[in-house]
Amino acid sequence: MIRSALAAPRLPGSRRGVAVLAVALATVATGGVLAVPAGARVPAAQPLVVLLHDHIARADPEVWARRIETVPARRPLTHVRTVLPVIGRTTSPDGRAWTRVRLPGRPSGHTGWIPTSQTKRAATSWQLSLKLSARRVTVYRHGRVVRRFQAIVGKPSTPTPRGKFFIEEALALSSQAPGGPFALATSARSAVLQEFEGGPGQIALHGTNGLSGALGTAASHGCIRLSTGAITWLAGRVGAGVTLTVTR
Amino acid sequence: MSNRTLKRTGRAGVALAVGFAFAAVPVAAQASTVNLATVSPFVVLGGSTVTNTGPSVLNGDLGVAPGTALVGFGLPAVVNGATHDNDGVANQAKADLGTAYDVAAGQPVSGANDLTGTNLGNRTLKAGAYRYTSSAQLTGPLTLDAEGDPAAQFVFEIASQLTTASASSVVLLNGASPCNVFWQVGTSATLGSTTAFKGNLMALASISLNNAVTVQGRLLARNGQVSLINDVIDGSTCGTSTSNPTPTPGNPTPGNPTTPGGPTTPGGPTTPGSGNQAPPASRSATPTHAGTARLRRPPRITTSRRPGPACTAGFHATVTGNMIRRVVFSLDGKRIGTRTRPAFRQYVKASAGRQHTITARVGFKDATHSKTMKFRYRACAAQVLRPRQGPSQFTG
Repeated sequence: MIRSALAAPRLPGSRRGVAVLAVALATVATGGVLAVPAGARVPAAQPLVVLLHDHIARADPEVWARRIETVPARRPLTHVRTVLPVIGRTTSPDGRAWTRVRLPGRPSGHTGWIPTSQTKRAATSWQLSLKLSARRVTVYRHGRVVRRFQAIVGKPSTPTPRGKFFIEEALALSSQAPGGPFALATSARSAVLQEFEGGPGQIALHGTNGLSGALGTAASHGCIRLSTGAITWLAGRVGAGVTLTVTR
Repeated sequence: MSNRTLKRTGRAGVALAVGFAFAAVPVAAQASTVNLATVSPFVVLGGSTVTNTGPSVLNGDLGVAPGTALVGFGLPAVVNGATHDNDGVANQAKADLGTAYDVAAGQPVSGANDLTGTNLGNRTLKAGAYRYTSSAQLTGPLTLDAEGDPAAQFVFEIASQLTTASASSVVLLNGASPCNVFWQVGTSATLGSTTAFKGNLMALASISLNNAVTVQGRLLARNGQVSLINDVIDGSTCGTSTSNPTPTPGNPTPGNPTTPGGPTTPGGPTTPGSGNQAPPASRSATPTHAGTARLRRPPRITTSRRPGPACTAGFHATVTGNMIRRVVFSLDGKRIGTRTRPAFRQYVKASAGRQHTITARVGFKDATHSKTMKFRYRACAAQVLRPRQGPSQFTG
């Protein structure tokens, strides 16, 4: 998956780059309403770590630190290797290397330290953000906006959780499955629904097959619904480990 | 040098030039022009039969006499002219063909122009009469140089057979006209496939063309058959006889041509009343075969399965060459773009997965046959992610 994420294709031609440049110039020319281009707040690359073995995540980079959870080496739905975003690295006094990572599951957006051993470094140039008020997903690559998609977000009774999450795994859904044809399962969990459809209330970006609701509305149970074209585009490019930032 | 000396020298030069001119006149006077008369509207005239296979195109009249068999001229063949099946027009044309044939055969030939035993290919000849006392062979290009004289006449007197190898050609240079080139063949003529032939081919027996031959001129068989296979015979540039006729009763003059049913020259100009004016030397009159094309495979296309700089979302397929009129690009048989001006290049999305084929069909501005080129590529396997199948257990 990591390899796939890294090898995601370059955007066709340089026209899009020119367009981004044009937007940036226009922003400067209009007096800096957006003083900093939106893409500039997003780092060009996100370091990742691939688990080669089950790991125990701890609250601190010490072997006796509080144990948070065990992170399995493979994801539960598709059994691909677990890929986690890296947010820090350190070495403990006893010489062990530690990596601070975002962790999947509850509480949403929690982090922990895992030993660097039995892991493999990787990186991705893709990042996602969701602005709930705009009901819009923005796709970044190399820190630049490359796509924006209208989305259906969680309704007030089952809101989409806010915070920093990541894509746990990408799935192809059957044609009969609601939300097809693809889903990007995230590390976020619903704060309201502890269980849904046999799952742990997991938040995902997915399609609209068999689901009602208009794009640009707040109508879901917490998931982020996208048009079939949008989710297909994303599923072909965005893999495990890509970060998702959900803001108000 | 004084003015007097200059004047004297000038007079001497003029006298010398006049002397040379007079010395050249007898040579030119010996060659008499070949008059096709009522044969002019015909591009194909056979003696016994005329047969065709495939989508041949005849820009001019078709006839046969005294035979009656015209075989294979329904669709897909196209005859842009009248058809004369052993009628009065065809019989008159046959009679005039005999006269023209004899005039061509009687052209005086100097000893230096006896080409017996040599190949016509890869040589340049100037206007005049040339002789083969046996058979003649053309392999490769034969260039006929009119040296700027559009009325320059070339006559080839071949005692027996004329044969051209595949892809041979007759190239006309400096105003030479296919209407003023005469091939008098003592027996039969055979033109190899894709030969680009020019001139009036008059054979005593038969004329056989192999596949995809192009002829600018006429195919005239006195006694035998003319057989065609997917050929193009274009007489549109020779709408009337290009030779100086000897006005005789019943023999039409070029200025008042007897052109029953013709000439029909769609796609080419008719020149009624143009008489013995040869068509102007132009690209359309003497199309070249100078077109070249090459499909460049971008070095960035990779078959690598590993991600890296070589992996790309797409690439440009580019055709380079000369005389290119149009390039149609296709991806896996589906047309993705047409280019009619340089640069002839097309952006191709590097669709991942199975092997793909890029095809470029190139048409040329001149008579060069269209060319199809292709290459295959396989994009990086990791170009597009393929998520695994999984259950839908999300909050929805």
